[in-house]
Amino acid sequence: MDLLNFLFLDSLYEFFNPKKRIFIGYLLIAVLIAAFWLVYFRKLNLREAINKIFDKKILFSKSAKSDYLLFFINQIIMSVISPVLITQLAIATALFYYFHSVSWLDAGVWNNTPLVIIISAFTLFHFLLEDFSKYFVHRLMHKWPILWAIHKVHHSATFLTPMTVFRTHPLEGVVFSLRSAFTQAISISSFVFLFGPQVDIATILGANIFIFAFNIAGSNLRHSHIDISYWKWLEYLIISPAQHQVHHSVLKQHHDKNFGVALAVWDWFFGSLHHSEKIENLKLGIHINQKEDTHSLRSLYFEPLKEIILIVIKPLTKLKQILKLIKFTLIGVNR
Amino acid sequence: MQNKFTKLILAGVFGTTLALPAFGDGHSYGPFPITLKGYSGDKTNSVSYSGQIARHVQHDSLKKLAGSGNLPEMMAYFKGSDKNKKILAPASKGDFKIKQTLLNEISSGKNLSGKSYKGLVNGWPGGMTGVEVLEHMINKAAEHGSAFDPNTGYNYPQLISKFAMGAVFYNQAVDNYLDEKLGPDNKPNNKPYKDGAYYTGKEHSWDEAFGYWGAAAHSLNLTAEQNYNITKMKDMAAADHNGDGVVDLKTEYNFAHAYYAASYDKGGKTDYFNTVTQAFVDGRKIITAANGEALTNAQRSQLYVLRDIIGQNWEKVIAESVFKYAGSVYKDIDKLQTIIEANGDTTKAFATYGKHWGELKGFALALQCGKNNIGETAVKLNRMMGFGPVLLNSSQVTGVDSNGNFIKDEASGWDEYKLHMLKIQKLMVDVFAVKARANDQLANISDLSAKLGGSNSAEND
Ligand SMILES: [Zn+2]
Ligand SMILES: [Zn+2]
Repeated sequence: MDLLNFLFLDSLYEFFNPKKRIFIGYLLIAVLIAAFWLVYFRKLNLREAINKIFDKKILFSKSAKSDYLLFFINQIIMSVISPVLITQLAIATALFYYFHSVSWLDAGVWNNTPLVIIISAFTLFHFLLEDFSKYFVHRLMHKWPILWAIHKVHHSATFLTPMTVFRTHPLEGVVFSLRSAFTQAISISSFVFLFGPQVDIATILGANIFIFAFNIAGSNLRHSHIDISYWKWLEYLIISPAQHQVHHSVLKQHHDKNFGVALAVWDWFFGSLHHSEKIENLKLGIHINQKEDTHSLRSLYFEPLKEIILIVIKPLTKLKQILKLIKFTLIGVNR
Repeated sequence: MQNKFTKLILAGVFGTTLALPAFGDGHSYGPFPITLKGYSGDKTNSVSYSGQIARHVQHDSLKKLAGSGNLPEMMAYFKGSDKNKKILAPASKGDFKIKQTLLNEISSGKNLSGKSYKGLVNGWPGGMTGVEVLEHMINKAAEHGSAFDPNTGYNYPQLISKFAMGAVFYNQAVDNYLDEKLGPDNKPNNKPYKDGAYYTGKEHSWDEAFGYWGAAAHSLNLTAEQNYNITKMKDMAAADHNGDGVVDLKTEYNFAHAYYAASYDKGGKTDYFNTVTQAFVDGRKIITAANGEALTNAQRSQLYVLRDIIGQNWEKVIAESVFKYAGSVYKDIDKLQTIIEANGDTTKAFATYGKHWGELKGFALALQCGKNNIGETAVKLNRMMGFGPVLLNSSQVTGVDSNGNFIKDEASGWDEYKLHMLKIQKLMVDVFAVKARANDQLANISDLSAKLGGSNSAEND
């Protein structure tokens, strides 16, 4: 019981950690941005705006409630899994060693670069690498059947709230942890190798300044029903909340669009960009008439596993049939 | 004085009932009373380790001479001399006045060669024993005539000094006095250490080991910073415990590995100096409390626990030194590469590199002079370091010929050698769990890794 209590408190800590999306400060700013948007662009009065932002039908929907549950349960599961995953430190050290053995690479060649430039370059490089790798992995999550089986958990949300970020299968959590470990290791090892021991990252409240900027610009509204869109030209560069909501849409023309997190340029370059559209009550989820059962814990945790097993077994049964056929032709008896 | 006397009496009365009997102020190595049965002389303090201090002084003086090219003089400090030799180091410096100026004021008839490691030294070319390696180094230093030889990259004072500290002090303490001589059948506590001595077998064995450790008798009352500054000759007040205006090398100075321990501890991450010195004090109290009787098994096992604490932490101090100088060598190569690229003058930077490499090699060899064979660790250490530093023309000493002259051959590249330094640092962390980690070349990587922080929650963006 003590452990559960501890994990519960540990979970709540996420609301007070500026490195986390659901930091209370970012949530507050998101509410302000949403209110501003609804009053100035949607012409609601303030009371209507507040009512719309805190829509009880959405916040207490079956979909949202399962988000909240997953937030706590996953915390416990991940606290068991993460210690056995490879760390960014282990990978960074190995890469740093490796770079020394590459004959055409010289350690510390840019050691004398001014500190401001080193820090700016590292901060920007790491942000770009992170953002691109997130785009890339997200794209894979949609294109590979095994990965899609687990990413589907996130897309099964029929209403979006900032807590929907936690509507994630633990296996997907593992994939994301590894992605994060590898990108951090690449940034750290290459910069320390080339620029020496003064490499550092520019942060605000402990968060990478770009991530901080992304979060105070209302990142929490990506998972919400407030369909803030940007000018068309800006949506080529930065993903608007409405664009991510399009990513969650059930409509066929919206499938496999807008994989990006902060930057839209990756989607633009690789042809998966979709601008926001003015659609009243965009339907969200995996498909139309999605079953209520998709919000049950059993379904959220075990359906993906079942699906993966089926995907793996299919080729095996085919193999069995082929073997049978070989046996038949060789021995001539089908018994 | 009155107070100390009362404490002593009280200790005598209640001492045996306490887990750790109290003698003296509890924080000093001595004075401890005479316990030898049947002793009728006028001595009141059974502590004696002046022979070890004499060897520390011979070592410091030899280091000072090693760049001079004067072979007979060097040998006089290494092998001992009939003459009453001058103490070349530590010698008075400004306000920091040293009490003794001649070796025999400390102890006479001592030498380093007779107490040097007799085992095979794998990390030095030629397949020689510890004492032979030291002699070889001294001969080569004399042949070359100055401290640094750019032809081999060897800095002789550093090589000789850092290796001697391991081959003599560390080896004698952990592999002899705290090993065989602690056994039940060797140097028993109910007999004098040798005929005519006023101290028992066990008292003196323990004292000798403490003497080799090198800490001042009152050093536990000081901070790491103060202990460090005593050896740097910067803190007279801390050193001069009895306030007589001079520093008594026999009790008031920190030598050798004790000094290195303090140098790491002042960073705040470790407590090697106090851990080892306190264990020595505690062990001496146990022996004193036996009151001249043979040690019981229980007393002996208490000593074994302390002996292990001493051995492990002493080893860590040497491993910290290997770690530190591997980092220095890495940085020195960085600097050299920059200078070479800019077509600058490498003379000074190369000499610094050689000095740090000499310290690295010396400490690495010292680490292999302990009680236990460090096996695989030694093999890796010696292979990655090589017999000599990688030189500017990418060659390296690879052996000695039949006349004991160094042979050189093509070495791996600079970056490869830097990688070896990183791996040596990692080896010290993995095997000896060093904590002070001076000059950590991976510190930046672990700091950044911690700062960026792993993602440990399942989150979609
Ligand atoms: Zn998706
Ligand atoms: Zn989403």
